[in-house]
Amino acid sequence: MVLRMAATLSIVCVPVAFATDLLASGADPVAFATDPVSHDIRPGYGVTETRWLSSYLPALANTPGDTPVYVMEGEGEGGTLLLLGGTHANEIAGVMAATLVVERGAVSQGTVIVIPHANNSAARYNDGTRHPGTPQWIELTTSSGEVRRFRYGSRRTAVEDQEPDPAVFVHPFGGELAGEEARNLNRIHPGKADGTLTEQISYALFQLAEQEDVDVVIDMHESSMTSRLALMMVCHQRALEIGAMATLDLEMEGIVLKQEASQEEFHGLSHREFGDHTKAYAFLVETPNPGQEESIEQPDVVNDPRAPLSGRVYTHLRTVQAILDSYGSTAGPDRRIELGFSFAIDALKESNLGTFLR
Amino acid sequence: MHIRHGWILTLALIVGVGPALSNEGGVAGQSSTFEQPAFIASVGQSAGAMQARVLADRAGMQFTFEARPAPEMLEGHKTLIVVLGASTKGLGAAGVDIDAEIAWATQLLEKARASGMSIIAMHIEGGTRRGPSSDQINTTFAPLVDHLIVKGAAPNQEWAEAEEANGNADGLFTTIAAEHRIPITYIARTLDAVGALQQLFGIEAGR
Repeated sequence: MVLRMAATLSIVCVPVAFATDLLASGADPVAFATDPVSHDIRPGYGVTETRWLSSYLPALANTPGDTPVYVMEGEGEGGTLLLLGGTHANEIAGVMAATLVVERGAVSQGTVIVIPHANNSAARYNDGTRHPGTPQWIELTTSSGEVRRFRYGSRRTAVEDQEPDPAVFVHPFGGELAGEEARNLNRIHPGKADGTLTEQISYALFQLAEQEDVDVVIDMHESSMTSRLALMMVCHQRALEIGAMATLDLEMEGIVLKQEASQEEFHGLSHREFGDHTKAYAFLVETPNPGQEESIEQPDVVNDPRAPLSGRVYTHLRTVQAILDSYGSTAGPDRRIELGFSFAIDALKESNLGTFLR
Repeated sequence: MHIRHGWILTLALIVGVGPALSNEGGVAGQSSTFEQPAFIASVGQSAGAMQARVLADRAGMQFTFEARPAPEMLEGHKTLIVVLGASTKGLGAAGVDIDAEIAWATQLLEKARASGMSIIAMHIEGGTRRGPSSDQINTTFAPLVDHLIVKGAAPNQEWAEAEEANGNADGLFTTIAAEHRIPITYIARTLDAVGALQQLFGIEAGR
């Protein structure tokens, strides 16, 4: 089955600024909180179908937590990857890596399911809690000279979408965190069908993983530049060998990732819970974002030469490919997932990210 | 086989076998020093042990892998390879703390010695595994082995990789190797351990 739907679905091409403009004007955000925010993502030929996340949990429909799901089905049968960007919407390299896959990716074998804004409520605006000097938008210039704008969002579900925070967030499998973490998608997995908005988003993601028979989950994140998390691949215990093969292969290309095992007692994280509750091999990858570095007063999240966005996106995409290569060598040729691009992705190391977007 | 090379011999045999592999000590050319089958275990439960498993596989070795084996599992093996490096996540997953890990690993190495096995220690995750907990493990067990494989700069070697990748920036392993007269192989990239293992076990490259 290959469905090549026109890339003109209204959910993907609507100009997006209205929510933030309303916020800037002081309007009550609750007034428009029932619709999911749209983003300027232009699916390329590789996208065979576009769905909503609410397909997997109807209760999410018409909420700010609903989000587009891009399906890229290859000609050859194989395994299925779920690729998540925007679990934390301020971790922009993950969002843009997923966006680039949707716009320029090509799947020759297996299926790649991409969600660029896993927590779409967090992508409504940048609440500045992670770094007050970070922007509301980034602007990237395409090869045709068009300036495209992409939301630099927040770490957590928008506060007005899920009120009030509990005094303490207690994960059902154990562990207590600050109350605001109840809005952190990467602390509340595997979610709950009748739970909070964030729990419902998570639950829908797990429903997707189960219904689509997902073999590999990769959740793309960013950390501060000086964090020990920077340039790290966290693997569920079952995924350690695949991760080890991938990190060794990446090292030969000059991408040096630290490898860590998922902490068993720390529940709610994607690598822990997808690995525990689905059959998938689960990974979380972190690149260093200047916008998460407190010591930088006015961070340039796109062009900082120490960690340019294009290079961070390159690291994510090559890591995805390396994980898929390692998965394929473990799972066998009939389960391989082959993700390529309509350009040489090595060029990302040297060029502006915008030139690769549609 | 239990080999401890003399310091003079160690100095005499300093050889460089490639741009990424710097050997100091009893490894010369393709001569085999260690015997198979090997047993690979983790001391500190870091992900490096799984990397060592992949490296040993790529080196074409005969080995058993178990991150935290009971000492009795070593029976039938000729060489114990311990991968050094503490991970709070890994230790937590194993349900132990650093003291319990050291107590267990002490028993493991004692069993290996009692069984006549040789012991190799690998520190292949660079500076990531050079915190207080890791160094507690490094300084406890590195002195007890027959050969060290360390991802880090050799003495006076210019380090071209990322600073964080240098597990020997302060010369800790160089000092341990010198004080305890242990041959040491320095590698610049983790994957270079494939060549180091092939050399130590006399495995023809390209197998």
